[in-house]
Amino acid sequence: MDRSVIVKALNQNEQKQTLTRADDVVLSVNGVSKKFCRDLKRSLLYGVQDITADLVGLRRESDRLRPKEFWALQNVSFQLRRGEALGLVGKNGSGKSTLLRVIAGLIKPDAGSVDVCGRIAPLIALSAGFNPILTGRENIYANMSILGLSQKEIDERFDQVVEFAEIGDAIDAPVQTYSSGMTARLGFACAIHTEPDILLIDEVLAVGDAKFRSKCTRKLAELRAKGTSFIFVSHNSMAIMAVSTSAIYLQKGKLIAGGTPDKIVEMYEEDLFLGNTKVIQGKMTIPEKSPSNSSGVDITSICLKNLESNTIDSLTSGESASFCVGFKAHRSFSAVSLRIEVREVGGENNTILFLSGWLEQGVFDISTGNHEIQIQMPYVCFKPGVYVASVNLRKDSSYIFDTVESFTFVVRGDSKMSRCSFYQPHSWKLVTL
Amino acid sequence: MNDHRPQRVNPSAIAHSPISPSGLPNQVTYTSASWFRQPGPPIWKKMWRDLLASRELAWRLMVKDLSAQYRQSMFGIAWAFIPPIILAAGFTFATNAKVINIGKTDIPYPAYVMLGTMLWQTFIEALNSPIQAITTSKGLLAKINFPREAIILAKLGQVFFNFGIKIILIAGVFLWFRIPVPWTIAIAPVALLHLIWLGTFIGLLLAPLAGLYNDVSKALPLIIGPWLFLTPVVFPVPSSGTFATVVKLNPVTPLLVTTRELATTGVISDPQGFWITSGIAIGGLLVAWILYRVAMPYVIERVSS
Repeated sequence: MDRSVIVKALNQNEQKQTLTRADDVVLSVNGVSKKFCRDLKRSLLYGVQDITADLVGLRRESDRLRPKEFWALQNVSFQLRRGEALGLVGKNGSGKSTLLRVIAGLIKPDAGSVDVCGRIAPLIALSAGFNPILTGRENIYANMSILGLSQKEIDERFDQVVEFAEIGDAIDAPVQTYSSGMTARLGFACAIHTEPDILLIDEVLAVGDAKFRSKCTRKLAELRAKGTSFIFVSHNSMAIMAVSTSAIYLQKGKLIAGGTPDKIVEMYEEDLFLGNTKVIQGKMTIPEKSPSNSSGVDITSICLKNLESNTIDSLTSGESASFCVGFKAHRSFSAVSLRIEVREVGGENNTILFLSGWLEQGVFDISTGNHEIQIQMPYVCFKPGVYVASVNLRKDSSYIFDTVESFTFVVRGDSKMSRCSFYQPHSWKLVTL
Repeated sequence: MNDHRPQRVNPSAIAHSPISPSGLPNQVTYTSASWFRQPGPPIWKKMWRDLLASRELAWRLMVKDLSAQYRQSMFGIAWAFIPPIILAAGFTFATNAKVINIGKTDIPYPAYVMLGTMLWQTFIEALNSPIQAITTSKGLLAKINFPREAIILAKLGQVFFNFGIKIILIAGVFLWFRIPVPWTIAIAPVALLHLIWLGTFIGLLLAPLAGLYNDVSKALPLIIGPWLFLTPVVFPVPSSGTFATVVKLNPVTPLLVTTRELATTGVISDPQGFWITSGIAIGGLLVAWILYRVAMPYVIERVSS
């Protein structure tokens, strides 16, 4: 799909969001709590108790835990509007999947309520229900009718699904002869073509190769422009920032923050990787690791500098600057290189810039002590916007010393740059012939 | 989520208008309340609605299961015939050799055993179907919210399909033994249906428990084995003694015997027992259905997704 179409669609969507009204809320989660039990035997027993209590009508909102229970979700409230893409971040076991399952109506909350307006499709079940013996064609029909489509609706979409999944002639071969990538693509294609009102996406954008992934991201942008809302769970901060329009942060079952994706991801990553890292605009400092946690070289800071080696808070299109990564080496190493990957926040989830010292003779032998590798850029060619970089230090091609998943930075520009998406270094000259 | 299908509006219409053009397509609320305090229409309305909504899906699941089953099998539908023939052969041999002593039957003994076994098999399939439905679709149930009735209906459809195949064998038996066909055979399917309802009722009652504890699936074959010998499948209904009382109290007896009588002699020996058990089966089925709906979220909660 042409990028300009997506941008137009996204813009349209933004206009829509400014017009948002109360009746545009498609999902409203009101004070939802859910308790779980980690002891299996006891959990089964509680299950029998709960079923009995529900049958005779004794079940009511409960705020007390029985022995060995814990709150998987506690008093979680938020709303999702039409066309909104909500990122859900949190560590493993923070209740993200439980929340999705409550929203999907698979399990009952212990307190609170969920109001859903429209059809929900989970994208968590990529190839659930595929029977390996049957052909791709038969499985598409079975899978899509489980997802709630009628025969007629499947007939209409069948060709699109096959085309999207890039299955081709193999459609009449048994699914067990497919590669794992083909199966995953087929599952994804089925789910995405049900055209639901709300799509629950749980860590599934990791399927297939890079080409298929970017196709999926495009398809999601297209759906969002049509008014589909998403809830998006991922451990990949980049993906969250690229796809979501807002985000919420779950910690031990509690919703502790909500806001713009970059703010929330920043907060999450501070908690996750960095402990008490300070992030000020344009500069990130990371406290020293203990020797036992270190792999020999630790990143200590990331910052942007101008020609005079002063730290700056943002880059400017067309000006020169350096991307500087400071690190501490506990002993000397040879062949150390830096690799960065930059994506745009809120853009398509594709890499805008990829630089690897290993591939470009940016390989250094380092001694014990503090150093900084600088990527000197005579011209900043990014268009104005917010970007996020993932940075890592390597030895040789594959051994990674240390990594920082997201360093967010801003690129500013003048009015000319708002009309295009690329800065071309240039000069003007008149030549008389 | 599948409860109502939202009205499909033209997507371009949505994209250009900030307000949902169709108003509220389908509002669903999930709360922690008990089944009869849940918001929305009363449960029987939801049950009826989900039953209708799940027809197409059930059909698809049934076709899918059946074709997968037969595609991976060499003997295919012969598996519907083999067990009753082998059982009939075994019992006929044992009776002729005077290993076991069985009273006089209304129709030739091998035919009696084959007909009885096929009815019993159908009953057991109906009983097992809800339990199998839950255990085999656990993964699907844990991931997608589709009408839960669909997997039960799909399995029931398979029971009917299998019985349909068995009809060929029954016809063969009637022809081979030259058993006269009474007009009452036309209403035998009704009695058979009640037998299937009884099996489904018991199965559906056990299904949620079977979803939690695998003891149920382990214990069931141990119960079904002896149960066969408390049901007049390979022997005629005993008339006196403690054994006769046990057989009479067995709920399968009146339904199975009535079905067989309607198909062979045309004389119903225990109409009262038939109607009482049928009432229990149908009433029980409705109760078990509610139980199943109520219990599923708690079962799914304990199945990893």
